[in-house]
Amino acid sequence: MQLAFRQRPQPMTLMTSNPDTAGDLATPAIQAKGIEMAFQVGDQQFKVLKGIDLEIKTGDVELLMGPSGSGKTTLLSILGGILTPTSGQVSLLGQSITGLPRHKLSKFRLQNIGFIFQGFNLFPALTAAENIEATLNLKGIRGRAAKKQSIKLLRQVGLADKTRSLPRDLSGGQKQRVAIARALAGNPKLILADEPTAALDSQRGHTIMELLRKLAKEEGCTVLMVTHDPRIMDIADRVVYVEDGLITPKPANPSFVHKPE
Amino acid sequence: MVSIARKNLFQDLPRFIVAQAGIMFSVGLVTIQIGILNGFTRSSTVLIENADADIWVTSEELRHLALTLPLEYEQLAEAKEVEGVDRAEPLIAQSTVWRDKSNQIAPIRIIGFDPEDTLFRPRTLLEGTLKDIQQPYKIFVDQADLKLLDVSAVGDRAEIGSYEGEIKGITTGTRSIVASPYIFTSLPNATAYLNSPIAKPDETPPDPPDLTDQNRITYILVKAKSGENLSALKDRLEEALPGTKAFTQAELTELTQTYWQQSTGVGYILGLGAVVGIVVGTVVVGQILYSSVTDHLREFGTMKAMGSSDWYIYRVILEQALWMAVLGYLPGMGLCLGLGAWTIQAQAIQILISPVTAAGVFVVTVAMCSGAAIFAIQKVTRLDPALVFKS
Ligand SMILES: Nc1ncnc2c1ncn2[C@@H]1O[C@H](COP(=O)(O)OP(=O)(O)OP(=O)(O)O)[C@@H](O)[C@H]1O
Ligand SMILES: [Mg+2]
Repeated sequence: MQLAFRQRPQPMTLMTSNPDTAGDLATPAIQAKGIEMAFQVGDQQFKVLKGIDLEIKTGDVELLMGPSGSGKTTLLSILGGILTPTSGQVSLLGQSITGLPRHKLSKFRLQNIGFIFQGFNLFPALTAAENIEATLNLKGIRGRAAKKQSIKLLRQVGLADKTRSLPRDLSGGQKQRVAIARALAGNPKLILADEPTAALDSQRGHTIMELLRKLAKEEGCTVLMVTHDPRIMDIADRVVYVEDGLITPKPANPSFVHKPE
Repeated sequence: MVSIARKNLFQDLPRFIVAQAGIMFSVGLVTIQIGILNGFTRSSTVLIENADADIWVTSEELRHLALTLPLEYEQLAEAKEVEGVDRAEPLIAQSTVWRDKSNQIAPIRIIGFDPEDTLFRPRTLLEGTLKDIQQPYKIFVDQADLKLLDVSAVGDRAEIGSYEGEIKGITTGTRSIVASPYIFTSLPNATAYLNSPIAKPDETPPDPPDLTDQNRITYILVKAKSGENLSALKDRLEEALPGTKAFTQAELTELTQTYWQQSTGVGYILGLGAVVGIVVGTVVVGQILYSSVTDHLREFGTMKAMGSSDWYIYRVILEQALWMAVLGYLPGMGLCLGLGAWTIQAQAIQILISPVTAAGVFVVTVAMCSGAAIFAIQKVTRLDPALVFKS
């Protein structure tokens, strides 16, 4: 069963934009050069990112850590093509996304990136299975195929018996599993997550992130995750720190790494 | 496809019901205004519907069905001679006064026709037979006018002009909102009533004589020979009967309806009511959709962040609008049909909801709901997907 899942053919619409390099381990999944981001606050500009250079290896699970307000979310949004940086270049899966028009960026995200949000952001009116189905619908997979895939994905995250539950009837951990299943829907090459364990106690957070790591590795999917949670550091292939708007290999002041309660 | 629109809509049932009530109200308002307009318009020519003529000939001075000058009875014979005329029959339609048993007067319209003719007859007789009015001073009254004329049943009497009349039959479906009650009788009876002296005679009036050449009639109804070109026949009739004008039944209907719509401003007033209905509906739907989208903003942001196209999101909102349209329209229209059935029963006021009206109101409802979706769509268009990473 697992095997079948791993080898399922990719629908045409989900082909990565650059099939030659997408699966190529030598090409970084994420490549950012000289990212700067300034926000206009009142009549003042203030720079959150001051020239970030970053490469995330294809197939890696990496964490992005840093003090609150250091610009992690901002950076993740830029890397995901949701936010346009003031300057700098971003390439995803070997393709430059800098300067792509909005609708092309949307399409690129749809086809290549799975997102996991801090607050789960499930559709409250849809059941667990429908949440995933709707996402597959968005990606152009419809009808029976979408139904079957959504149930399969839920089974993979251990929620085979919750397919018909509404989000409000699920625990935080279960909701996060649905969110993971949803991020995996349609086989994205890249998963971006912003504090995916923030709403979970750290024990459960760890278990779920381990699951995410396992599924991502099976699928050859690259994961970049913003987190404050040091308990999940062990699932990462690498940890990247942001401080003062720059990437640092080691935190100068590790106090922001919360000790678990 | 998972219908996010439908699920979102039904998730908040109380709000959905409030919205549907609003749409129902608006559908009702629009339908009833149009229905009353249609009913009113149609009722102005309900008399014509009781006829089966191809052409109506009357004075060239005609303004509308109820406002024309008389012809002479002898012109009927001339009309019969015109080439292409299969039948020509007289019709009297003149106003006079009704005096009920408590001595109150009311305006009425005497409709005189020959019960043995075929081109005109009251469509539905609830009581009595056509032959009855061939007896002197016997009449038919419409069921809907009984109360107004202070009579209740066959056998009741009243004065018409200064002669007595006895009800021998009851018609239905001839009530016109714009005209006085129609009293149906034979041509001789009608002529006698219309020419009755001002003062009530002491003795019983003589039986009305048959019409003579100089008696007045109002219309000559013409049936053309089959295959006849009506427009050419009209020309020949007008030529043969100087001072007259010929109309096809459809032309006379249209002319009369246009007259009433325009002269009374009723079209304007009821049209205004319909517009108010549409505005109210649009505001209600717009508000509900807008607040629904506001409530689900995070989800729309999530969809945008995932990479859904704007069109996909518009479709969700439009689908929501469409659901509201359909589910507001159906009960709204049901309500109107029910109300229409009741008013014609209880008030003899026709709210005429034709299939065309019903279809038209549906189109308006859909347009209204989609139009109202524009506000919601604008809100989503401006939505920044980066919002989903903010908690
Ligand atoms: N749209 C915006 N307009 C103005 N300032 C912004 C905007 N978005 C972020 N900022 C500012 O940029 C800085 C970085 O924000 P960001 O959300 O990226 O931080 P973070 O590292 O994710 O913090 P946290 O760990 O608390 O989530 C903050 O000072 C924030 O106030
Ligand atoms: Mg953040």
